Amino acid sequence: MANILAGKQNAVESEYVRFDSLSALVIDDIGAMRHALRSQLQGMGMNSIKCSGDARDALKLLESHQYDLILCDYNLNQSSSGQHFLEHLRSEHLLSSKTVFVMVTAEAEYAYVANAAEYSPDDYILKPCPEKRLRARLERLFERRNFLMPALTAMDEHNYELAVRECDRLMQPVTDERWLMYALRVKSEAQLALHDTENVLKTYDRALAIRDTAPWVKMGIARTRMLQHDLETAERMAKEIIANNANYVAAYELLAEIKHLQKDEEGAFEMLQASAKILPSAKRFRATSESAFLLGKLEEAKDYSESAIKLSSGSMAERPDDYLALAQIQVDSGDSANAIVTLEKLARKYEETGMFGISKNAILAQAYCDAGDRDKARRLMERSHRLVTAKTDSSAMNFLGKAALKMDNSILGLKMLTRAIQSSGKEKKRITRHVTRTMIDTGQHDKIGDVIDAGQRRILVLVDEAQKLMRTAQFEAAHEKINEALDIHAENIEALLAAAQLHLLWLKQAGMNDEIDARAKEYLATLDKLVPNNEKVMSFYRFYNELTGA
Amino acid sequence: MNEGLSALVIHDIKNALALLEAELEQLNHRADVPDEGRKAYQRCIELKNRLISFLTLYKHEHAGLKPNIGEVYLTEFLEDMIDASQSVALGSKHGHAIEVSVAEDRIKIAPEVKRKGIAAFDEYLVDMALESALNNAVRYAASRVDIWFEQDADRLAFFVLDDGPGLADNIAAQSPSGKSSSTGLGLSLCNAVTAVHGGGKVSLSNAAEGGALFSMELHHNG
Repeated sequence: MANILAGKQNAVESEYVRFDSLSALVIDDIGAMRHALRSQLQGMGMNSIKCSGDARDALKLLESHQYDLILCDYNLNQSSSGQHFLEHLRSEHLLSSKTVFVMVTAEAEYAYVANAAEYSPDDYILKPCPEKRLRARLERLFERRNFLMPALTAMDEHNYELAVRECDRLMQPVTDERWLMYALRVKSEAQLALHDTENVLKTYDRALAIRDTAPWVKMGIARTRMLQHDLETAERMAKEIIANNANYVAAYELLAEIKHLQKDEEGAFEMLQASAKILPSAKRFRATSESAFLLGKLEEAKDYSESAIKLSSGSMAERPDDYLALAQIQVDSGDSANAIVTLEKLARKYEETGMFGISKNAILAQAYCDAGDRDKARRLMERSHRLVTAKTDSSAMNFLGKAALKMDNSILGLKMLTRAIQSSGKEKKRITRHVTRTMIDTGQHDKIGDVIDAGQRRILVLVDEAQKLMRTAQFEAAHEKINEALDIHAENIEALLAAAQLHLLWLKQAGMNDEIDARAKEYLATLDKLVPNNEKVMSFYRFYNELTGA
Repeated sequence: MNEGLSALVIHDIKNALALLEAELEQLNHRADVPDEGRKAYQRCIELKNRLISFLTLYKHEHAGLKPNIGEVYLTEFLEDMIDASQSVALGSKHGHAIEVSVAEDRIKIAPEVKRKGIAAFDEYLVDMALESALNNAVRYAASRVDIWFEQDADRLAFFVLDDGPGLADNIAAQSPSGKSSSTGLGLSLCNAVTAVHGGGKVSLSNAAEGGALFSMELHHNG
């Protein structure tokens, strides 16, 4: 450590990495390969090594243990690649910041694309890799991780303020620019999580001064500018990244978000198409299909939807929703026969409960209605309706709303669409577009404004009333109002924020009370799950910690 | 045979070879490994290197190599290459160890270079090319091999120098059994790697102080 502090160039070599205390997970579909990699790791002194032949199995292992190292083969099997696995882990937050993920690949070109993706591994090694080379790579990776350890620990604990402080502390004595860049990168991630756009730009500036070519810095600036609603600058920067590296997938995805904010949905669709072409994945096909569907481009929507199903079938990226989306596209294209096949045959393995049950019956009702079997359509719609509960999610209600409107039950239809908007939470914009599409498709143009307004208004009125009561310390009464709002939809973000705020004030005024404390914690945990890293939620947590002296 | 099938077969062979290598590597970790085991390991490595060189060249000629350009710290890059080199580890064919090191006193960096000691290239491709030169140098060296680089604003050159008998003798020492074709493969690979990095020059000559000097220049702007 002394050497790192002194900033000597060869400081890293002298920092000895103890492999015997590290745990590893090896994922490869070929048994002999797993065995070989395990032996190499054992040769370095690692004792705790688990092996897995496929991604599903690996996911189970990851549920019970966080590994220091994951060595994952790129060609896992036909339906899922190491890249898909990594994207899944990162997007579902299943990977600790402290885990080093290394992709093992036989294709040198894989790295060309993967390095340009948002979800890139910490490193990749080319097969065959002799033990000495693997060891040299891993030593560097773990030296980097050990250097960043205090900051990464704070990141894992979602304590982003501490992570920022730890990065500053780590950087202070360092002069080696690589180590500075590592720390600046983690610092910028923590600041982004805190939505501290002003300071994160300072961090990026500092990184730019060291190295003006690092793509993550440019990406970060573009993203921050977007968050600050400076869409022009964000767009210009994202385009610059693409001009330098036409395969930089994350830049296309960011551009799609920017275009979306500029209300240029055609442009967003084009960018999503480009990203799916460069690095195909079920997730990208899904997003592209949805974008096409909302634009009324049913042919394209259908192709991308089918690609998503084909690519994810049999893998952990498989989603029952994909069949729902495809069937709805088929119904809208006038192909009710195939929509029925999609749902009754292809998707028959999924249980007809909850969100899937409501949606499946609703879309089938539309298909049978189009096919002329109105009795069957009505029975299916009723079955769908019976499954609706207070927790039913917005897209299911949108499918049911569409079925009802198609069958001239406009009372049920408009009610469902209103509720879809009400319960849309952080998906409000997306659901609003879907509901709008539904109303256009069913000839309800004139009522679009009303439905969207009504959907947003009722809960907001209740929340507003609760807040007024809060200010006059009428906590019990405020609580009742909020419960009423949460009864309409249990996961409404505005209502949950008000609930958390109410309970914190309550605790402050009434002193510690186990019941109120438990509820406060529950609301905060729900919010943290629904809107991770939300600025307001973060400030609530800080307030809570101050109150309880934690 | 159609192209898809050939690709599949080659991929299979490459994987099988990698497995064989890993198994022989484990065998060579044992204290009681017989001489034959050591030789088999060495032969397996040579074979694998040749196959990979061949595949890389094939790709270069038929589909075009796409370099994955990243920032590389040159001294560290050369040190890692030496550390990971299996031929260095196994010693020369004469049975005594060859000392391979980065000759820091020979490194030259022009004053106008903005980021001194750092360059942008595909480290796997350049590593593969240099390693084939290193393997060759180790094979003919008497006791030591020196590696270094020179960096100008628009040129990066790598050098590998051995203290062996020099070029004419190298060629004379080659048996007709295919060693020369392996050297030819190595040089073609180096040429392909420089070509995808914006061009350059590869040469093998006798050094003024004796021994063979290999050099590989990449012309680049930055």
